Formats: sequence, C-alpha cells, structure tokens
Amino acid sequence: MEVKTSFLPVWVVMFPMLMTFVIYYVEQHSEKMRNALSVATAVVTFLSVVALYPEIVAGNIIEYRMFQLLPNLEISFRVDILSFSLAVLSSFVWMLVAVYSVDYMCKEHGCNRYYPVLIITLASCMGIFMAGDLFTLFVFFEAMSLISYVLVVHEETVDALKAGYKYLIMTIIGGLALFFGIIITFEVAGTVSLSGPTLFGEPTALGFFAFISFLIGFGMKAGMFPLHVWLPDAHPVAPSPASALLSGIMLKTGAYGLLRVIFHVFGIELMRESGWTLILAVIAVITILLGSAVAITQEDLKRRLAYSSIGQMGYILLGMAILTERALIGNIFHIFSHAFMKSTLFLAAGAIILKTGKRNIKDLGGIGRQMPFTMFAFTLAALAMIGIPPFNGFLSKWTLALGAMDAGVPFYVIILLVSSLLNGLYYLPIIIAAFFGAEHGHEHEPIKVNEAPYKMLIPIAILAVSCLLFGLLPTNLPFDLSRVAADFLLRGGF
Amino acid sequence: MSAAAHLPALTVVVPLFFAYLMPLLARWRKSWCAATTLAVLAFTFFSSLYLANRVMSSGPFVYHMGGWAPPWGIEFYVDYLAVFTALTISGIGLPVIVYGIKDLPHELKEGVLGWYYTLYLLLMASMLGMALTNDLFNLFVFVEICAIASCAIISIKESRECVEAAFKYLVLSAVGSGCLLLAIALIYMVTGHLNFTFLAATLPGVMAVYPKNILAALALLMVGLGVKAALFPLHVWLPDAHSSAPSPSSAVLSGLVIKIYAVAMIKLLYKVFPATFAGMAPVMAMLLWMSTLAIIIGSMFAIVQEDIKKMLAYSSIAQIGYVFLGVGLASHNALLGGILHIFNHAMMKAMLFLAAGAFIYATGVRKLSQLKGIGVTMPVPAGAFAIGAMAMVGIPVTNGFWSKWYLALGALDAGKPLFAAVVLVSSLLNGIYYLPIIVNAFFSKPEGAVAKPGRLPAVMTGTLVVLGAGCIIFGIFPSLVLGLVSRATRLLLGL
Amino acid sequence: MTDTLLRLHQNSYYFFSIVLFIIGFHTMLTHNNLIKKIIGMNIMDTSIFLFFVAIGYVRGGRAPILEPGAGHAYINPLPSALILTGIVVAVSVTAYALSLVVKLYRHYGTIDAEEIMRLRGGETL
Repeated sequence: MEVKTSFLPVWVVMFPMLMTFVIYYVEQHSEKMRNALSVATAVVTFLSVVALYPEIVAGNIIEYRMFQLLPNLEISFRVDILSFSLAVLSSFVWMLVAVYSVDYMCKEHGCNRYYPVLIITLASCMGIFMAGDLFTLFVFFEAMSLISYVLVVHEETVDALKAGYKYLIMTIIGGLALFFGIIITFEVAGTVSLSGPTLFGEPTALGFFAFISFLIGFGMKAGMFPLHVWLPDAHPVAPSPASALLSGIMLKTGAYGLLRVIFHVFGIELMRESGWTLILAVIAVITILLGSAVAITQEDLKRRLAYSSIGQMGYILLGMAILTERALIGNIFHIFSHAFMKSTLFLAAGAIILKTGKRNIKDLGGIGRQMPFTMFAFTLAALAMIGIPPFNGFLSKWTLALGAMDAGVPFYVIILLVSSLLNGLYYLPIIIAAFFGAEHGHEHEPIKVNEAPYKMLIPIAILAVSCLLFGLLPTNLPFDLSRVAADFLLRGGF
Repeated sequence: MSAAAHLPALTVVVPLFFAYLMPLLARWRKSWCAATTLAVLAFTFFSSLYLANRVMSSGPFVYHMGGWAPPWGIEFYVDYLAVFTALTISGIGLPVIVYGIKDLPHELKEGVLGWYYTLYLLLMASMLGMALTNDLFNLFVFVEICAIASCAIISIKESRECVEAAFKYLVLSAVGSGCLLLAIALIYMVTGHLNFTFLAATLPGVMAVYPKNILAALALLMVGLGVKAALFPLHVWLPDAHSSAPSPSSAVLSGLVIKIYAVAMIKLLYKVFPATFAGMAPVMAMLLWMSTLAIIIGSMFAIVQEDIKKMLAYSSIAQIGYVFLGVGLASHNALLGGILHIFNHAMMKAMLFLAAGAFIYATGVRKLSQLKGIGVTMPVPAGAFAIGAMAMVGIPVTNGFWSKWYLALGALDAGKPLFAAVVLVSSLLNGIYYLPIIVNAFFSKPEGAVAKPGRLPAVMTGTLVVLGAGCIIFGIFPSLVLGLVSRATRLLLGL
Repeated sequence: MTDTLLRLHQNSYYFFSIVLFIIGFHTMLTHNNLIKKIIGMNIMDTSIFLFFVAIGYVRGGRAPILEPGAGHAYINPLPSALILTGIVVAVSVTAYALSLVVKLYRHYGTIDAEEIMRLRGGETL
C-alpha cells in the first residue's frame, strides 16, 4: 500500500463543476444540447471515478493537495477504498438519474435551473467523498446541502417552499454543528487532515462536545432521529429524480461523514473505550423503529418512501454503533443496497406520477397492470427493502445481523427483524393492490398498458436488476468493496 | 523629505481639503464633483496601500505633524492596525461613492449634491484620522468631525424620518462625545499626557496612585465610544439612522463608521491601558456580555423587521457585537477574528445596503414582504444580496466564514466555549432572517412594482458585482488580509 | 467631616463641573422640548470645558505669555488650547442641532418630542 499523488480526484470534482457553467451557457441556446451535455457530464464523471479503480484495488491511496488557505488548513483530496466505493456508487446512480431526468423533466418548468444544479450537486457530492481533510469535506458538504435546496423547492409550490424552509434551517443548524466540531478538532489537534493518525487522543469533555457536534451535523443529513424532521417533507416535494438522489445518495454523505469521524477523527479504540457508540446505538434503534412505523401511516407514496429512508438509514447508523467487522461490512454494503433500492423506488414512483398523476397509495390499485414494467421494478426493490433473499437488502441485513451477534447483542437482531416486518407491512399492500386490485371507482373497466418512455425505464431497470444481482451473486463488486473498506477502516484507515 | 514621507498626513489632509473645496466646485463645474471625489478617494486608497506596503516591509513608524515631536506635537502612528483600518475605509468608501454617483441624484434634492460630497469626504478624512492618530485629543476632534458628518449625511435627505433620525443620533452622539471628553480630561489630569505612547508608559505608575480616576475614565471611554459604535444597549439610535439615510450613506455608516469607533476602542484598550491593568478584567468581561447580548438581541430584532434597510441596520448591531466579542475575549485568534470582521463586515454590509438601495432605486419597494420575485427581475442585485447574506451566515467560501472561524477558535483558546456557541447561534439567527429573503427573491412570482423594475445604471450593478466578488475572493483567499491582521493582533497583544 | 468639606472646597471646580455635567446630562435626556435638550447638551459641554480648564489652572498663575525677565507662575496652556477646539466643536454641533430643530418644526409644527412621536405614531425620539 502506498500513497500516490494524482490529479484525477481533482478532475472528478472540477469537471462537473466547470461543466455546470458550460451547461448554463449552452442552455440559453438549445435545450437538446443541454440535456445531452448533462448526461455526458455525468457519464464522464462516472468513467473518471472508475479510472481510479486499478490504483485503489491495488490498495493504494491517491492524494492531491490543492492549495493551502491558512497554515494547517488546506483544500486537499484523498481517495481511499471507502471514498472510492461511495464515489463510484454515487456517480453511477447520478448517471442513471440524469438519463431518467431527460424525459421526466421535459414537462416541468425551470429545466434551465434544474440541470446545472443537478450537475453542480454531483460535483460537490464527489467533493465530499474525495475530501482529504475535514475542512474540504465541510466546504463541499455545505455546498451540496445548500445547492440541493434548489432541487427541493423546484416545484415552487407552497408546500415545497415550506418544506424547503425547514430543510434550509436544518441544514444551517447541521452546518453550524459541523463547524463547531471542526473548530474543536482544529483547536485540540492543530490540524483537520484525515490522512494522519486519529486526531483525538483521549475522551475529554471537549472531545465529547466535538463528537456530539459531528453527530448532529452529519446525523442531520443522514436523517437521524430526532433531526429527521426535514426529511419526510423535503424528499417527497422534490421532482422524483431529485428525490431519488436526495434519498439514495445525499443521505449517505451523512453516513460517510460519520464513518470518517469515527475512524479518522476519534479512532476505533477511543470510540470503544469511551462508550460514545452507545449514544449512536440508541439513536439508531429509535431511528429504525420510528422510520418504519411512521411509514405505515403515510398515504402519499413518496412520503412513505421518505420515511422508509429514515428507517433504512437507521441500519447504517446501527452498523457504525456495533463496530464489529461484519457489522461494518453490512453497514457499508447497506449504503450500496439502499442507494440501489431507494433510487429504484423513487424513480418508479416518479414514472407513476408522470404517467397518471397519482401520488396517493389508495389510488394505486391496478397500476401494476397499467405500468407492468415499472411496477415490476418497484416490486423487486420493495422485496429487497423488506429483506427477502436473494435480494441485496437481505445480504446487508444478514451481514449486519451477524455483526450484531459477533458483538454479542442479539437485541439488535430482533430490531432488524421487527423492522423487516414493518417494511413488509407497508410495501406489500402497495404491490398487492397494484397487481391484483383495481382502481377505485373503475373496477370494471379494462386497464390499458400505458408505460413510461424507455429512457426512464432503462435506468429503473438497471437499478432494479442491480438489487437482485448484488444479492444473488455470492461475490460481487459492492460486497467486495465493502469488505475491503471495512477491513481498511478497522486496520486504522491509513 | 519627499512627498512620500508625508503620506500619513496627506492621507487625511487631502480629503479634508477637497471636502471644503467641493461646494465651490459644485457652483463652478457641477459635473466635476463626483470625479474629484473619486480621485481623492483613489488617492487615499493608494496611499494607504503604499503605507501598508511600507509597514509590512519595514515595520510601524511614527509621523509628527508639522515636525513637532510629542509631547507638544500631534503624532500619527502608522502601524498594522492603522493601515489595515485605512485600507478598509478607503477600499470600501471608494466603491460606495461610485455607486452613489448614479444613486444620489435619485435620492437627493438637486442643490445639495455638492454638499453630499463634502460630507462624504469629511467622513472619510475623519475616519482615516481616527485610524492613524496616536493622540487622545486629536482622536476626539476626529470623533466629533465624524459625528457631525455622519449625522449630516443622514439629514441631507431632508425627509421627516431622516431629520428625526439625525436629531436622535446627534443627541446621543453628543452624550457620547461628552463622556469621551470627560474621560480625556480625567486621564490628562493624572498623567499630563495625551499621546498614546506616553500614556501607556505612565499609566501603570499613575494607576497605583489614582486608581479611581483611571477607572472612571475607562468607564466613560466605554460609554462614549460604545454609544457611537452602537454597542448594545447603547444602540437605540442606530436602526432609524441607518435605515432612513440615502443608501450610500447607510452603506458607509453601517459598514465603516460604527467600526471605526470599535477600532478606537481597540487602540485604547490594548495600546494605552496596560495589559496587566487590574481594572481591565471586569472591563473585558463586561464587553463580552454586552457583545453577546448585542449579537443575540440584535439578531432577534432583525428577525421581526418589515423594512429591508431596518433589518440590515439591526443586523449591524449584532455584527458589531462580533467585533467586540473578539476584543473582549482577548485571545490572539479571537482578537484577530474581531479585527478581521471589521473588514469583512464592512464589505458585506456595504454590499447588502447597496443591493437594498438598488431594489429601492428600481422598484421603490422597501417592504420585505413585497420584494418577492426580485431575484427573477433583478438577478444581479439579488445575487449580490444572496452572497452578502451567505457571508453573514458564514457559509464557507465567503469572507464571513473566516471571521466566524477565528472568533470560535479564539473563544476555545480563551477557554470559553460558551462564546463559540454564541457565534454559532447568531449565525443560525442570521440564517433565519436572511435566507427567507433570498428564497422569496428567487423562488416566487414577482408582483406589482417588482415585476417591472426600472433600469439599474451600469455603475450601480458594477459596484455590486465588485463587492460580491470581493466577498468570495476574500473567502477563498483569506491570507490576502490575514497577514496584516495577524501582525496587527500580535503587536496589540505584545506577542 | 471638616476634612471632607475642606477637600471639597479645594476641589470645588471639579465638584461643580461634575454637578453641571449631571444637570446637563439630565436635561438632555429627560426633557421633551428639543430646544431644552440642546441647552442641556451645551451645559454638559460647558461643564467639561470648565473641568478641563480647571485641570490646567495653577493657583495664582498668569496667562502664559512669556515676558522677558518675569518669574511668574503660569497656568498650563495646553488645556486652554484644547478647550478652544472643544468650544468650536460644541458651537458647530449646537448650530447643526438647531437647524435640525428648525426642520423638525417645519415638518411637525412642534418642538415637543412626545408630540412628534404622537404625530408619527412610532417610537420615541
């Protein structure tokens, strides 16, 4: 394992950022060019991330120091296996979402705003994953959070603005908490770089403040109880492709940040001996149960999906709280799984809304016969959510449960089972009604097939198949990456 | 001696001289007024730049007015803080008046335009004087010039609100001046000196004999400068004064004038009164709590405002609290943050007021609730406003972030994490009142006058672009000013 | 007691200037009549001038005009010189304040702060 310097991480962040301006310029002249360029940018970004694969898989770390702002404070990039895993996942989903957007957004207003924002959010998201120090991470985190506000309020309805306001205030609170944590870290350690040894030596009161601040800052983004309040409002009001990104990818930035904090800022020994993980565990359990339970009561399809996201993020937090190797593998693998599942679900929901305008679950009777393909994908992802083998959701829960057993806490396994049951309770009725029910009030009319355009179906199909594939194959790329990343983190992460 | 050696004096004297020339010029060649003012301010800017360069390369130096050495003559002490302040004043004063060239004829009566330039130059000269002087009484004279000029620059608009606000400002300002003069008398009474350097040398000895005199003087100084700097709870005059004035006046009043008194306070507290002074501890603690209250209550008041300029004015009360917070914490990073915030806040608040002025210029609307959709019809001023608001909240890559960074770091250094939390809470409050404006501006349908704004002159747009770019540039490259500020702080703290 | 009185007598300039200062301050802040406010402001300023000049006074001293050969005690000229500046400042502030009062009178037809407040229906002046 060695540390190499390469410009590629900077390129991955800068390229979409620069393309934002190009797209902004081009869209004044041609809508077609704008769409093509947006998709092309996402594809090139994905390929650039993939280009890092040989180095990463050889166990190397890629670093690039941009410039120093102040002594001990710089903009730097650092790609290790964890960064790479998340970057490759995000850029992949982003690419599919960009393709999906082309047809979905064609009837929406303000596309000239949507595409540049979509791409610059991609840039800041890549920045978060590739950041080499907490400060860079913070800058991109704030950028992503604030810019994605534009995606949340895209519809500009009263509801959207209200949800957006909530989102904005929570983002600011999260950002400030993060700022506080970073300041304390900087004060104690004199640096915020993630490439050195862990920054806190012993569990002091100040360190505890920092931990809580990081927990608030990243947890807010990850939809952690009790800071999840913005999520069920903000995710459903956004246009569906944006919801898919918000729920599928951007939530994970919070989880990623927490992983970095646990392993690089505090270090695993400190976390274990201080017992701070207990806080995380309690919160994770509450988050899981709350998210799943409240999802049952939701009538709006996208709102139900949003609450489901909260529950699923709870699994990821739980994995961090348990901190055994298999729990960690499950945790990272669930980041992959949930991204695939939730994106599929939101994109499918988007297709339904686009074609039928129906958002309420009560109206979705018979939709499976009207849009068989979309609903089939939806079913695959929903089954994965519930955790039925052989889907990827099962694999992540299974690993997580094994990790919990390793730690000697079977209680967590019970929580996982209860949550799966609850997932079943709110996903299965949708599926059953979709395929075997009939639309309310039109029971006797024949249902015509009315599918979404293929450019929307292909991304949905790819994501849905991934859900199945990455659960079915005994060795697959995401699982391998998770395993290596977990191993890497437990070894000290540098 | 070459002319360059006299630059410290010329920096103050040239604007002072041209200030009195302006009414004559206005009668003779009206159109030359603006150009002359610009030229004078450009001169002050470049001479400050030259002085800064000289101080950075060869250290602080003194300049004796008319060649008279102290204790008889007046001394200018050109150190890091002085050139930093001078650069801030002329650097912000210049774009503001560029903006004013087009905005002022719109806001003022025809006949008083020439006078406006007089007042503006007087204001600049007095502030530069305050920054450079090393003499207590000279400071007082500049304070008075500044006080009258800043009242007059409000009342020149001659509307009811302006006259009223100016009167209120004048009365309270006179109280402040009175306190200041009494403090000077008390200090002179026991030390026999007015020169800062001499005072600093004699005060420790005198303190042992006449502690009450010195303490009374210190208290009076705090009240006197506190009133003028609008330090809570002595801020009552500020909201009316800053909101009713013509926009360029508001920009300099909020951006620079209140800050210059803070600079004077920093000079007196750190340079004149010895650091080991027993009476200093309660003074610093008082400053801390007053600034904390200022930060929180100023922001609270700002939240409930309806008028855009009034909201900005209340926000200034909170922001001046940041500066005093840095002064009160007295650790290196905190003081650095406080001084840095003088510059950063000057830039963002000037820009915010000018952006608000641009809205009023083009639409006549001042009510926040009616400014919906302004971002759609006037993207550049609204964009500048958005950048300013982001800087106020302290989002990274804006200059406001660095003030917050150093203040929070300084609070931790001083072992008072509570005050770091104050900075953060205040950022949140800033977010609560600034962000809805931006959201409404960009994500609502424009209605009424906002839907069809008048054309905004290119200079006004240009000024906003320059200031907005400044906020970002100093956010990305904070080291541009930090070298100077950090040296100023080290000198003040005697590190 | 006598000691206190004696010291008060010795420092009577300072004592009375402070009394004047408080009177001026009080007048300025409590009176509603704007002209009275300005009068208060002037009393306050004058009290400080008195205080300042008293600092420089030397008992039995003369005006500091140097005559060759005369060995008188002179008063300290610096405070007087400073106060000359102070007076100029005070006069200009007064003139400006009065002009503002004239404007206010034209606008409202009164110079009573409370009345103005009532007419405006807003905050205190």
